[in-house]
Amino acid sequence: MNDRKLLAARDWINERTGFDKVWGALFERRIPEAKGAVAWLYTLGSASMFVFAVQAATGALLAMNYVPSPDHAYDSVRFIGEKVLCGAFIRGLHHWGASFMVVLVVAHMLRVYFMGSYKYPREGTWMVGVALLLLVIGFGFTGYLLPWDQKAYWATAVGTNIAGQTPFVGPLVSKALKGSSEMGAATLPRFYALHVLVLPGLMLLGLGAHLFLVVWHGISEPPARAGKAADDKGAA
Amino acid sequence: MSDCGCAREAAGEGMRRRSFLGWAAAGLGGLIALVLGSTGGAYFVSPIFKKDEEDWVDVGAVKEIRPGSPVKVDFVARKRDAWAVTEKRSSAWVSTADGATFTVFDPRCTHLGCPYRWDQAKEQFLCPCHAGVFSSDGAVVSGPPPRPLDRYDTKVVNGRLLIQPLPQKRTV
Repeated sequence: MNDRKLLAARDWINERTGFDKVWGALFERRIPEAKGAVAWLYTLGSASMFVFAVQAATGALLAMNYVPSPDHAYDSVRFIGEKVLCGAFIRGLHHWGASFMVVLVVAHMLRVYFMGSYKYPREGTWMVGVALLLLVIGFGFTGYLLPWDQKAYWATAVGTNIAGQTPFVGPLVSKALKGSSEMGAATLPRFYALHVLVLPGLMLLGLGAHLFLVVWHGISEPPARAGKAADDKGAA
Repeated sequence: MSDCGCAREAAGEGMRRRSFLGWAAAGLGGLIALVLGSTGGAYFVSPIFKKDEEDWVDVGAVKEIRPGSPVKVDFVARKRDAWAVTEKRSSAWVSTADGATFTVFDPRCTHLGCPYRWDQAKEQFLCPCHAGVFSSDGAVVSGPPPRPLDRYDTKVVNGRLLIQPLPQKRTV
């Protein structure tokens, strides 16, 4: 009786959402057979996306207690670490997750590069992926300033000065980044808005396109010598 | 195709590996969800478990407050509000009969919040706004005030008088 009710509920949802087709396309698609270390290399993309989800969740929590103002930023971050329940843990996850995310997406890019997975017909996936890599670095750069301690301040001073070295447009880029000629009260909310509003929006768009293309094209085979690949096919 | 396990799976043998991985993924995912969910949930609801900090304000040495007429003390109340600390200038009326126990009145009339003053000749608190009159122990003598003067909690530590500038309403 219960099972039949459950099945009826599943059918009801399926008829209205096509959920089983979505599930099938995402989780029951054919993937190349790979063994050992090579198989683990295929997990880097999913791992990056998982860490991004953790960053989004912990970031939303941190934003509940963080104030992007020079008067309050440092104190509010200290408040999170010292007074909020599990605050140090949540902030720690966000802090280490940020570094780990850069490591993961770079490893993912190297995997795709050395296996030649970026080649026809997957150039679009690669291009979107490069944009996502830049977004991740943007997250790292803007997030680094937010604790508003000495390290944050001077790292961002160096970062914006590097942008200032660009030929011709450098000073303009630097000024636009800082929101003013000098780093200060205008810089912090600007970086915060980029970090929590602009970049996540772009990231979700890019991630959607990237995932669609991954599913659309299927996962590329591990590279093999031409002769060997033919042998394998023959054997099958 | 020979090694994909499909044949063994169909025979009911390979299912063990596949279902093991399924259970492992669900188990690890559940564990991660549990850790993130419980710590994140605790973070979100942490205001519930937070005790309000007591902000005692030092308003002066006990021996400087003489028994008899109430005296007005001025002080700066530091209030912690999460990560911010705000300072507010404020005052209160202190009276003592014996120099050991103290009564501290909120400096606002209980009618509409006007600051009142001590009339030495009548030995009463007078409010200038609507002619509210209170006796030296804060009770309403005449006029519109609905209740006696509000009081602050007090304590004496090392010869200093400490108060907590939160009005305690009294009905009598």
